[in-house]
Amino acid sequence: MNVLMNMQDLVGGYGEADILQGVSMVVHEKEIVVIVGPNGAGKSTAMKAVFGLLNIRGGSIRFDGDDITGWAPNRIVQRGICYVPQVDNIFREMSIHENLEMGAFLRKGDLSAGYDRIYTLFPDLKERRKTLAGNLSGGQRQMVAMGRALMLDPKLLLLDEPTAGLSPKYMEQIFQISRDVRDTGVAILLVEQHAKQALAFADRGYVLASGANRHEGTGAELLADREVADMFLGG
Amino acid sequence: MTVIDFLNFYIVPGIVLGSIYALGAVGITLVFAILRYAHLAHGDLATLGAFLALAMVQLLGMPVMAALPFVILLTAAVAVGIDRVFYDAFRERPKIITVMSSLGIALMIRAIVQVVWGVDTQTYSRGLVRPEDYFGLRLRDREIYTVIAMIALVVGLQMFLSRSKWGKAMRAMSDNPNLALLSGIDNRKVVMLTWVISGGLCAAAGVFLGLNTELKPMMGWSMLLPMFAAAILGGVGRVEGAVLGGLIVGIAEELSVLVLPSEYKAAMAFAILLVMLLVRPTGLLRGKVL
Repeated sequence: MNVLMNMQDLVGGYGEADILQGVSMVVHEKEIVVIVGPNGAGKSTAMKAVFGLLNIRGGSIRFDGDDITGWAPNRIVQRGICYVPQVDNIFREMSIHENLEMGAFLRKGDLSAGYDRIYTLFPDLKERRKTLAGNLSGGQRQMVAMGRALMLDPKLLLLDEPTAGLSPKYMEQIFQISRDVRDTGVAILLVEQHAKQALAFADRGYVLASGANRHEGTGAELLADREVADMFLGG
Repeated sequence: MTVIDFLNFYIVPGIVLGSIYALGAVGITLVFAILRYAHLAHGDLATLGAFLALAMVQLLGMPVMAALPFVILLTAAVAVGIDRVFYDAFRERPKIITVMSSLGIALMIRAIVQVVWGVDTQTYSRGLVRPEDYFGLRLRDREIYTVIAMIALVVGLQMFLSRSKWGKAMRAMSDNPNLALLSGIDNRKVVMLTWVISGGLCAAAGVFLGLNTELKPMMGWSMLLPMFAAAILGGVGRVEGAVLGGLIVGIAEELSVLVLPSEYKAAMAFAILLVMLLVRPTGLLRGKVL
């Protein structure tokens, strides 16, 4: 499989302090990669770095043939990476359909194929397309948030803790949808607190600790690793 | 007092005054929701609109209503210009800096109006206008124009906000600015559009205030408090709320003379603002709390 995103020895943070102290990771095309690790490990920070939300002081990020290190988010969006924040990731006062329309703001021309694709992935949303997104349940909001990001037809989707605060039933559903999204040809990089479940469903995973790589491997390898289990999987 | 007298003396003037407040309050609520600060120059921007219309009436001999579309465009351009030259520099700074600078802009606009048009009271046309009788309701043409124009402008705005791509982008920016930027919505265009709309509506408010009363350099400034009361009463960010709030404040001011000396009319807006902020800061239609 071809390498889609390649982060090498990244150093950076929000202000002056370097939260990331040399993080490297690779996402291949059509692959689900999960970042796990203890609190404060820099998981979300590493993902935000890909989207240009960080002051980068060392290392590089390559995406689909371009060096995107230091690019502004709006340029990165147009290049084919979409980002779903952990919180406040929908337009509450707008309908589901309008949320999708705003996701496709940069796209010109007919959007009906785009809507069809999202509504096929999320049949629940199609029935309620006129409903205000703020009136939906947590799981459905997460679907709207993912749908909004997918409207631009990205090659890489970044999900920041998509299952935070969701019931196990919805967590399973979000994972299943993520697989469906991957099967349509979109790579996914996500951060997860629910490490066990996430490693079981992802293709590969990275374990970060204190802003640096600690382990990497396929989900199954990491789940079987003694040290990973001792560190934070709770035995 | 009969019902029809009550309508003629209190409710009709209240609705007319309320429509004028509504036009200003819609702009205030949009600026509040999208740019996230209180724009204190809104009243004086309305004064400028009123006097620009006076210039067209006096110099070009145009009827006021014919001058209105031009005045709306001109004032919208002035509002965009003020934003570019002054407010834009403070975009990343604490909002209170922009609020204070808008107070300075208010004083500047008023000074310009006083220098250009003088400090005396003026009118668009001389002479008394007799009201026409509509089944007992006594209405002047200018009162009918005011209410119809307010409804037409607000309905047009609502259609723009609910149907068009850029109207939706304005709502998105008001709803969740970070996500709007992540979606690639151009913040600068949304800001400009916000000023075009609120500046234009503001000019209409000034012209209709001048048409129904008289033109004074302080006319807009004295309308600032009722307009803010209307925007907050309706719920910040709610266009239909600003209209509702405007009408309630206008009618309440007219009704207040039944129980209070008319000098205290202006205190009604203050009382409404105070009560709403204490009791229900989200406004009648559940707006934002900033």
